[in-house]
Amino acid sequence: MNWLQRYVRPEQVRELSLLLLIIVAVIVFGSMIDNYYTSRTFNRIASSVAIITIVAVGQTLVVLTRNIDLSVGSIVGCTAYFTGTLLAQNNDLHPLLVVLAAVALGSVLGAINGVFVAWGRVPSIIVTLGTLAIYRGLLVDLSGAKTVTTDSLPSWLVDLPRVNLFAIGEFDFRAMFMLALMIVIIFQVGTSFLALGRRLYAIGSNPDAAKLIGLPIKRLVFLTFVLSGALSGLAGFVTLARFGNITVEAGRGLELEVVAAVVVGGVNIFGGSGTIMGAMLGAIMIGILEQSLFRLQISEFWRDALLGLLILLAVASDAVILQRLRSLWARADLKFIAKPPDDGPAPERRAPP
Amino acid sequence: MKKYLLATAALAMAVSINHGVQAQAMAKPGEALDMVLLPKFLGILPFDQAHQGAQEAAKELENPTPLQFLGPTPENSVAGQIEITTNATTQGVAAIMISNNSGDQIVPAAKAAQEKGIAVVTWDSPIPSAEGEDVFVAQVDFSETGVVMADMALSILGEDGGKFAILSASPDAANQNAWNAAMKEALKGEKYAKLELLDTVYGNDQSEESYNQALALVDKYPDMELIMAPTSVGIVAAAKAMQDEDLCDTVKTSGLGVPSEMLAYTMNGCAPEFALWSFVDLGYLTYQTAYAIATGALKAEEGASFKAGRMGEYTITKDPTRDAGLRILMGPFSVYDKDNVEAAAK
Repeated sequence: MNWLQRYVRPEQVRELSLLLLIIVAVIVFGSMIDNYYTSRTFNRIASSVAIITIVAVGQTLVVLTRNIDLSVGSIVGCTAYFTGTLLAQNNDLHPLLVVLAAVALGSVLGAINGVFVAWGRVPSIIVTLGTLAIYRGLLVDLSGAKTVTTDSLPSWLVDLPRVNLFAIGEFDFRAMFMLALMIVIIFQVGTSFLALGRRLYAIGSNPDAAKLIGLPIKRLVFLTFVLSGALSGLAGFVTLARFGNITVEAGRGLELEVVAAVVVGGVNIFGGSGTIMGAMLGAIMIGILEQSLFRLQISEFWRDALLGLLILLAVASDAVILQRLRSLWARADLKFIAKPPDDGPAPERRAPP
Repeated sequence: MKKYLLATAALAMAVSINHGVQAQAMAKPGEALDMVLLPKFLGILPFDQAHQGAQEAAKELENPTPLQFLGPTPENSVAGQIEITTNATTQGVAAIMISNNSGDQIVPAAKAAQEKGIAVVTWDSPIPSAEGEDVFVAQVDFSETGVVMADMALSILGEDGGKFAILSASPDAANQNAWNAAMKEALKGEKYAKLELLDTVYGNDQSEESYNQALALVDKYPDMELIMAPTSVGIVAAAKAMQDEDLCDTVKTSGLGVPSEMLAYTMNGCAPEFALWSFVDLGYLTYQTAYAIATGALKAEEGASFKAGRMGEYTITKDPTRDAGLRILMGPFSVYDKDNVEAAAK
């Protein structure tokens, strides 16, 4: 126990137990579904996780500051649709410009959220619930009931989901999955080591203290919403490439999956704790569940209900279990301080998070 | 170079037999009628095409009141259709043209419309019990659809047969259910003995859901060789999914699709054959029918016939697929493959 407490923080226990849960889930589903342990299942989950992961990274940034962004599904839908329309009209657009257009549109939509939350002082859950409906409404109205279809898109985009960066045996590592992975790494490093990233934790754990030490809270909260929008825009581009046929329904209900991924991944809904890596594990868990329940032919209503249950369990267990773990760790700290140091050199301790 | 199927001959006969039996109705053009075209939902190409056809008919009939094209969003299809029908009734429009996605749940709303003297014409998908509906404009004979799908399955899978699954739209869609049932009926025939239907799944006419359902089918049935999707959303989603997973050589896609959307998949062999009728014509004929009924030129009863503009004469008959229903049969089917899909996609 001492060893564990020395090297692992309570939040990491949370992530390790999720890893264990993922393994359990894979074993359970493997026993229920024929041909489950194949490269195909892996490839399937990897491709489907890409979109959720990218959006979940942005959501994590927002949640770290004690906010939430419910409009992500609508932003994904809007960017997928409008980027698709743009590309259908100008087939020669450079791929990089297309990605930039998607990210830019996402950022603008995210910035609107950010302005209302940071300077309008409206609770983020209300702002983004509003924009969830507004963005979708605009999409339905502006689209004029037209569909973006694969035949109107250039072939580089339609073939993008098949692009394989490398493969280990039959396990494909496709471009989109690697893109998601890259984003996870960039933001994990950013939130761990950059002052900017650590400030997000500071705002979430104690907004009053953050204000007292002079952090530009409003600007930082605004920034997280812009980033969440930008990443949703990127996910919109991935959605466009993956499904090719984009109706006004694209990305609907994604917010449920993303919020589930984030809280299951151990990001505290009350801000200040959790990691990007955790959110990715959460997204993988959701991806496994979705794909497996598809294979078991369980109706979408049950899948959604299960996601809801997962959110409840994750948040409840955060409140109960993580509190216990933290006090356990804190008690160990006290014992450690009380002990005379002549038992040997004092092991270096990590600062409490 | 379209390949017309068996239906053509039968249809031509049905039309010609009635020709001259009864005095033909001709609707007087130029009347101001407020008419509502209600698709299952907004946002997919076939319904846009039907809208186009209806507008063409409206122009020909010189109806000065613009056509209202109103539809719900896909996830709200059932409740939305009922709401739009009820609103149109309150507004007192002259005719409502419904592609019904709500099963018999729409009956009370449709009946209320009829009681107010509104012409209720269904198209594409009828009201199963036929209550509250004047007449159904059928794109093709529904049992014919089953045979066409079984024939395409046989032609793709070959004489040795094989296993396949149906990727349908929603469990509430009357036309989808009728076609799937008709296909199962057709499969009982000696000719199709070696075809085995594994499963029927629903993608709810949503791209993402249909895409994932198609992949789930492949994973669940490793020896499946064909996905039959009688829905324009499902068929492209399935074809894209097979292409993305490099499965086009082993699992083919077929069903009902729009040529312009299917072109790429037919040319690269992912979806070697599929079928459809003209949704533009269907919209045109529906508008002509509803206009004729609303002006009183056509009575919705068995044997009544009328002239539907450029499409010629049509007669109302009993609907063989619904006990109490009346229908106008449009037809025929066009089957598309790599020889004719390019011309049709233009």
